[in-house]
Amino acid sequence: MDQPLLSAELRAEIQALIERYPPGRGRSAILPALYAIQRELGYAPVEAQNELADMLGLEPAEVGAVVSFYHMIHAEPKGDYLLQVCTNVPCMLRGANGCMHALEETLGVTHGETTADGQFTLEHMECLGSCATAPMVAVTQKSSGQIRYFEELDSEEDIQDVLTLLREDKGFDSLERWTPDRDPERTGAPAGPYTVGGMEETYLTRRVNRPQSHTLADYEADGGYETARSILTSGTPTGPELVDMVKASGLKGRGGAGFPTGVKWGFLPPDLFPRYLVVNADESEPGTFKDRCVMEYDPHQLIESIILTSYAIQAEEAYIYIRGEYYFAYRRLREAIAECEAKGYLGPNLFGTRHKLRIVVHRGAGAYICGEESALLSSLEGYRGFPRSRPPFPAVAGLYAKPTIINNVESVCNVLHISRMGADAYRAFGTEASPGFRMFCLSGNVKRPGLYELPHGTPVRVLIEDYGGGPQHPDRPVRAVIPGGLSMQLFSADQLETGLDPESIAGAGSNLGSAGIIVMDESTSMVDVGLRTVAFFREESCGKCTPCREGTVWMEDILKRIQRGEGRTRDLPLLEHIADNIAGKSFCPFGFAAVWGLQSNLAKFGADWTRHIETTNPEGQMPNLPVRPIYRPDAEEQSGLFEIALEPVGESPLVRDSVVPLDSADS
Amino acid sequence: MSETVSITINEQEVAAPKGALLIDVATELGIEIPIFCSHPKLDPVACCRQCLVEFDGPRGTMLNTACNAPVMDGMVVRTDTPAVKAAQEANLAFILLHHPLDCPICDKGGECPLQDMTMRFGPGVSQLVEPKRRAQKNYSLSDTIVLDQERCVICWRCVRYLEEWEEKPQLGLFERGGDTVIDVQPGSCVDAKTSGNIIDICPVGALTNRGARFQYRPWQIERTGTISLHDPMGNNISVDTRNGTEVRRIMGRENMAVNDQFITDRDRFCHHWVNHSERLTRPLLRRSRTQALEEVSWEEALTFAAARMQEIRARSGPEALGFIGSAKLSNESNYLLQRLARGALGTNNVDCRQGGDVRSGYTGVPALTDLMQPQGGPRPKADTVLLFGLDPSEEIPMLDVHLKRAASRGGTRIHVAHPRRTESARRAETHLPYLPGTEPALLHALIRQVLESGQVDADAYQAWLQLPAQEPEGVAADDIARLATALLDSDHAILICGPDITHQANGEAVTTALRVLARLTGHASRLAFVGLDANSQGCRDMGMAPDMLPGGAALTDADARSRFAELWQAEIPEAPGLRYTEMLEQAGDGIKALYLMGADPADENPRWAAGLEKTDLVVVQELFLTATAQRADVVLPAVSWLETDGTFTNVDRRVQRSPQAITLHGSEAAPDWLILDHVANRMTQNWPYRSVQDITRELSGALPIHQGLDWDALGDLGRRRHPDPTADEEAPLSPVPAVSVPTPDPGALRLYRGRLFYDAGRLCALTDQMANSIPAPFLAMHPQDLEASALSDGDQVEVTSAYGSLSLPVRTDGSMAPGSVWLPESLSGAPVGALLNGGYWDWVTIQKA
Repeated sequence: MDQPLLSAELRAEIQALIERYPPGRGRSAILPALYAIQRELGYAPVEAQNELADMLGLEPAEVGAVVSFYHMIHAEPKGDYLLQVCTNVPCMLRGANGCMHALEETLGVTHGETTADGQFTLEHMECLGSCATAPMVAVTQKSSGQIRYFEELDSEEDIQDVLTLLREDKGFDSLERWTPDRDPERTGAPAGPYTVGGMEETYLTRRVNRPQSHTLADYEADGGYETARSILTSGTPTGPELVDMVKASGLKGRGGAGFPTGVKWGFLPPDLFPRYLVVNADESEPGTFKDRCVMEYDPHQLIESIILTSYAIQAEEAYIYIRGEYYFAYRRLREAIAECEAKGYLGPNLFGTRHKLRIVVHRGAGAYICGEESALLSSLEGYRGFPRSRPPFPAVAGLYAKPTIINNVESVCNVLHISRMGADAYRAFGTEASPGFRMFCLSGNVKRPGLYELPHGTPVRVLIEDYGGGPQHPDRPVRAVIPGGLSMQLFSADQLETGLDPESIAGAGSNLGSAGIIVMDESTSMVDVGLRTVAFFREESCGKCTPCREGTVWMEDILKRIQRGEGRTRDLPLLEHIADNIAGKSFCPFGFAAVWGLQSNLAKFGADWTRHIETTNPEGQMPNLPVRPIYRPDAEEQSGLFEIALEPVGESPLVRDSVVPLDSADS
Repeated sequence: MSETVSITINEQEVAAPKGALLIDVATELGIEIPIFCSHPKLDPVACCRQCLVEFDGPRGTMLNTACNAPVMDGMVVRTDTPAVKAAQEANLAFILLHHPLDCPICDKGGECPLQDMTMRFGPGVSQLVEPKRRAQKNYSLSDTIVLDQERCVICWRCVRYLEEWEEKPQLGLFERGGDTVIDVQPGSCVDAKTSGNIIDICPVGALTNRGARFQYRPWQIERTGTISLHDPMGNNISVDTRNGTEVRRIMGRENMAVNDQFITDRDRFCHHWVNHSERLTRPLLRRSRTQALEEVSWEEALTFAAARMQEIRARSGPEALGFIGSAKLSNESNYLLQRLARGALGTNNVDCRQGGDVRSGYTGVPALTDLMQPQGGPRPKADTVLLFGLDPSEEIPMLDVHLKRAASRGGTRIHVAHPRRTESARRAETHLPYLPGTEPALLHALIRQVLESGQVDADAYQAWLQLPAQEPEGVAADDIARLATALLDSDHAILICGPDITHQANGEAVTTALRVLARLTGHASRLAFVGLDANSQGCRDMGMAPDMLPGGAALTDADARSRFAELWQAEIPEAPGLRYTEMLEQAGDGIKALYLMGADPADENPRWAAGLEKTDLVVVQELFLTATAQRADVVLPAVSWLETDGTFTNVDRRVQRSPQAITLHGSEAAPDWLILDHVANRMTQNWPYRSVQDITRELSGALPIHQGLDWDALGDLGRRRHPDPTADEEAPLSPVPAVSVPTPDPGALRLYRGRLFYDAGRLCALTDQMANSIPAPFLAMHPQDLEASALSDGDQVEVTSAYGSLSLPVRTDGSMAPGSVWLPESLSGAPVGALLNGGYWDWVTIQKA
């Protein structure tokens, strides 16, 4: 037999990873194991995948199918440093394309290519949760598998400095984010926490600006773990009482759907154990970076909250599913958990009581869809991140077919503050229907993008003007705002008085989603925004169901054509037609998310689109495209008969009728 | 009757079984809802979104999929509203968006659900102006299956079949979003033994049969529903033929009591031998020993054969004649062959390979439905299955599929006793890797365990406790205890035993011990001895055995003998005849004439080939010029199972029809039954058969177990024959002492034979694209034994037994029990019979060549 690729040490490591999951659920270790393989070998070659399949008792194709689903696992080697530039809308608004372009010029490679010396691979990427510190590059070091964010790269010099740091081997002395401003000496020193702000007294973000805020010592010095200790040791409130308290607080989920957290907990079947808590830290909605901040700079806040939540729902195992790119947060969480385990705050006897809790941090690997709760479960179980049918709902049959509560990081953290202040005090914040405070992620064309903790109901304009400092450039007023992350409907400038709470936003025709507020000024091309939005959803569509898989690609193709000047006026109703048949027809809510942005864009800024088409393609010429591939042995030589077949569909005499009336659209 | 709920569908109120899926209820009502991913044999995934229909919900009407919606009381559904139509039309446009529309050169054209749906539900126009997506076309997934990723609509029925039925997802969805494709892991292939079923269930032309590609148009073929003869399951197949002469493809046919709707890859792909140019078409005759075989007329060949048989009988007596039938041939042919022997020529020297030599005989499994888990069906009755000396994944793959599914979905617990760690053993709860020849020791240990458990009345079985307690080699005591407990605790265990374990010197001891074990644990009626050929069971039922009359009566049964004497108007000798191996051992000595029908012993054992050459008369009915036919005096060309009618009895005693599907042009070959009738006729016999159906009718009258099972009564799905008259269940069985087979040499190892799914026999090897699937001969050996013999993987070795020796390469195989070596039979150039002489195992010594 050939020498195995996986060394004995690596096999032992993988075996230990398998044992992190419940017996018989070793498949969950597939992503962690692939990360380990990638760290050791630099990539995950097919032979190594097959050896892993053998270890896990799977068919090789099962591992291959998983590998090819996740962007962060690659079967082909990359450069020593993988440079990933976020070019999604929030970054695009702040010059990410220039950043990408500068890197292309400097390195002489484009997207997906590696420099001749094998040092750098360049890729453009989807949102990496760094929207307020755009433009940015996430760098993966091949030798260690570690990832570090280099942020606020506003100029070409900044980019050169990053490359110099990496070339001089100074880039990974720390994993904490780097910015040019906070490291004037260019030593690679970390930048520390972000700009946070908001109401006078904050809760969720209160500690993140303190030095050493992430350590247990600092957290405890600040009164940390007192709440959990006192509740668990005294037994007051009891678990069910705590559930009732959360119900009374009116807390709604902060991940995007906004479902009342306490009500969700109430769906657990009374006598079915074990139960699991899964914390959704797969923060991937473009324009959102709140959970990252908490996990990086106040991980103990999350852990204490998990302890309380697990106590309330009687779970003894909790999983934090964190997006793979949040490597620094992952490390901070692991360190914090280790500190807690050492002190008995986690483990078999929490604070000396009979309560047990084990927290497993599970890294995703680059798939937006895994933020959808059922897809997250598929991913956590070691499958491709495909959403599942509901019913059964996760509360009844979730992780490993056991009752499971899945809550967003911020939702869970709120439980701590509700426990501390009580439901009534909590309800003093926010609106009647949506009480409480929230971390708003402000990005795009504002002066001070950042994280602002404010009560629900704060008007959009107040956030932009009072906290964000107004438009980025004084001479370019706000044109449009996305109030809840990229998947939500656009607001036009006349909707800025709307309060930032789920009900008000919904009343104005959008959704608060994950509270990522993306501001666009007058210079923004709505065509570019439309294309980049759809491109994101095309990239992140899981491919399970037909409308989303086919429709997003089709829309992107049409939008690209429009952008490059080959659009036809009748493409606009066609786009609407496609969008209508994705929304609500697809398997999961992703279908809505994929089209809301474009639908609202076309509805509110239709004139922009028409103007774009009329200026770039004034004659309304048909696109110059081959219609379909040719299946003949001598396909390269075209016969005369073929000319007819090459007529674009819609103009052919063979066409009987058209879904979009031919006359009305072009006239 | 299960609970029903009331739903309203298209304003029509209907009752539907609770838990049923809406799509199934609608189909039942004749309401068509278009589907792609949904399949009645697979779990719903609701991914193609084609079956969107309108539901009344708490928040008004909404579109949702019908394929994964269980019906609920009060559900209101509409499948024909404008909203539904618009959604279905738009979705079909999505599905067709990048479809290549190469229907004119697509095998599926004409029977393609995508074509049909497009005509009925599609928009009739494409709005796409962008170039279509390109992907792999003509992409081989294996030697037998071709994938066209451009035609694929990503319904993943194929992936799900391999996952849900085969439990070997060798195909997966790769990449994501619009780039999603069905693919194999690079460098791997799809080699699950029933993988071809994914072709049948593909709703488009993405998966095609490599051997059948471009060979047919659905509207040009004729379809015959028949059965396959590659293994004893009798899997139901459809044979598609062209011009009435050529087999173009074979597909699965639904029979919920046998194979659900799935078949094995041998059933599907290995049929090219039927229309092969090497088929015999004219009778051949060797006028004297020094002459070669030459083509002659039927008249000459038949007259010669009949006259010489009678001549030898007159000279040397009926005991000098031998008749060898075949378990690959029909009940009717085998029945007539033994009638020729017993009725016309007065000898009981009648047997077939793996017939009388298997001391247990064949009983068949109680009912396959007891261990099947159909989609949406009830759980299988069997809670426990013990496979003893059987490797279903190589030998009976559809049984393996049923067992895997019963285990994973039906909660059936599988236990395996087999010398190798077979595929079933790898998934089993316990695996007892005994050494070949030590079966009695293992069984006695199991019986002891059961008797000492205190859970059974052991009084009548004290003799079994007196047996010397001997540790069965290689089997852990814990596993024996666990299996004994499992059998004792089970309410409905099925014990399925392969033929090998009772095909040896200790055959009687093993049979008796198994019967005692089954009886003590309460499963006596579910002890199944199964054969491995298509008609192993039928052959025995037809009296193709030296000691048994048709219908299973012993020769000593005077009543039965006189019944058949009357029917055949002949004297039937009472003394048992010679068994298969005995006849062949004595060929050229005591046996002066051998009449072989579909049997090729010369290929099996070189010593037997030499014996045939010394035999005065060898008559062979064959399809090909086999090693045996080459040594024959008369070769009578026969036809395959597709060219004549016949019935076969499968592993659960279901008698199934195999009607004629084709006639070969330019061939004089004749059905076996007709040849036998003509031979008998030339011996002044006057048999009353004008057709196969006449014989089937005679069987249905003369055999109590076939009572009423004439051709028409069998129907398209066959019927189970009546059970054997029950033996005396009460009398305790006393132990049959095990014979010890001493080691000739301290370094000797136990060599045993076995089977591979694809072997070099003509049924596989004459199908060109199977060439890569058939392994070269090898001797499998445990790494420990290799090391002890100072050998390494791939070394050429000389294997020597008391009967002969062979030169073979060795292969390291961790699945072997140390101390044993394995040589699969029917691999080209490795006649395992040369070493085993017809038996199951023997001692061998191994030396580096």
